[in-house]
Amino acid sequence: MASLRTTSRLFAARPMFRPATFARSYATVDTNSSEQPKMKTFKIYRWNPDQPSEKPQMQSYDLDLNKTGPMMLDALIRIKNELDPTLTFRRSCREGICGSCAMNIDGVNTLACLCRIPTETSQESRIYPLPHTYVVKDLVPDLTHFYKQYKSIKPYLQRDTPSPDGLEYRQSPEDRKKLDGLYECILCACCSTSCPSYWWNSEEYLGPAILLQSYRWLADSRDEKTAERKQALDNSMSVYRCHTILNCTRTCPKGLNPGRAIAEVKKMLAT
Amino acid sequence: MAMFARSSLLRQSLATRSPLLQRNVGVSQMVAFHASARKQILPPLPQEIKGTPDYPRIVNDPAPIPESHPSEGSYHWSFERLVCLGLVPLTLAPFAAGSLNPVMDAVLCSLIVAHSHIGFQAAIIDYFRPQRVPKFSSFLHWLLRGFTLTTAVGLYEFETNDVGLTEGLRRIWKA
Repeated sequence: MASLRTTSRLFAARPMFRPATFARSYATVDTNSSEQPKMKTFKIYRWNPDQPSEKPQMQSYDLDLNKTGPMMLDALIRIKNELDPTLTFRRSCREGICGSCAMNIDGVNTLACLCRIPTETSQESRIYPLPHTYVVKDLVPDLTHFYKQYKSIKPYLQRDTPSPDGLEYRQSPEDRKKLDGLYECILCACCSTSCPSYWWNSEEYLGPAILLQSYRWLADSRDEKTAERKQALDNSMSVYRCHTILNCTRTCPKGLNPGRAIAEVKKMLAT
Repeated sequence: MAMFARSSLLRQSLATRSPLLQRNVGVSQMVAFHASARKQILPPLPQEIKGTPDYPRIVNDPAPIPESHPSEGSYHWSFERLVCLGLVPLTLAPFAAGSLNPVMDAVLCSLIVAHSHIGFQAAIIDYFRPQRVPKFSSFLHWLLRGFTLTTAVGLYEFETNDVGLTEGLRRIWKA
């Protein structure tokens, strides 16, 4: 494998055609050895459930950015592969569609696979799990309650009347357009865990991600249980702990606007 | 894969000429992590997953929906917004027109009392949850009601037996 790797340098000018074996686990960058190494320090939150009495710690790792892919996830995978196999984090798709690698990088909740490594090597990067979550291990948060809350809003189409043609539930292009900016949400929990209201009241307040999903079903023209959905939200905790802080909109790695969706939910409930 | 990892590691260490040739390279120091002060205010309790009575710790059940009350939720929110909107012209009017209409003064005072009561109430609901501190939460709610009542009575006295809110402010401003 190592020899194959060396030959791949011959194709460095055409990196698109590099054999897939080398890019399978993470993106690497081919460089000639004369280039100055760009060492960057990554400080990563570590906590091991096998030693529960030990406090969480920040562990630092040094990587050469010339040999690491451009994204934070590349750095994390490289650390796990080459430096410390005990480092634990979730990842799956490495292209921002699964939402597994949500974490707090340099103070911002984002997806590690969509977050570029800052090229400034003098400054270290600090990586934490999502804030105010129960940590399972290292960078893995426990999202059980988040998913239970998602389930509580019944995130599926509810209808009693069959469709006129008996085939499918049709929708006008205008009605479909209302769902743009809502259906793209991947439930990575970046927005909910950036919301101070959700930090304090996550037991009952649904949080921006779940409220955006609520609005996605309230806005759906095919859904017939709008009144029931509104009734379930109409209490002091589910929606109205939102104080329009808008951390959710600022942090969303997919560029969605949960704050606006919550405003629409409030408007729907008020009328 | 191991070969690949080792070789790339070797290349990196040769290139940098830093003490990376040792085992466990880059894993330099472990720093104690302090998330917060030693004395925490209301530290979080251990995680508790609430399920059904039959299966108290089941994780696949939906989270319970909080109970609704007619005075909470959307009516409460609409009322709050109307009070906020109403306060804007009522606060500006005395500056613009210099009116000393006692009715306007009374409306302004009652809206201020309602507005501050709703605001403090939201703060108590946010920060002192009944699940976490049941007695202290209800104590704070009653304390707030007491303060609101005292303020309302005080403003009433000020309006009826003295010059009134806007005129009082004007005199302080001009003093």
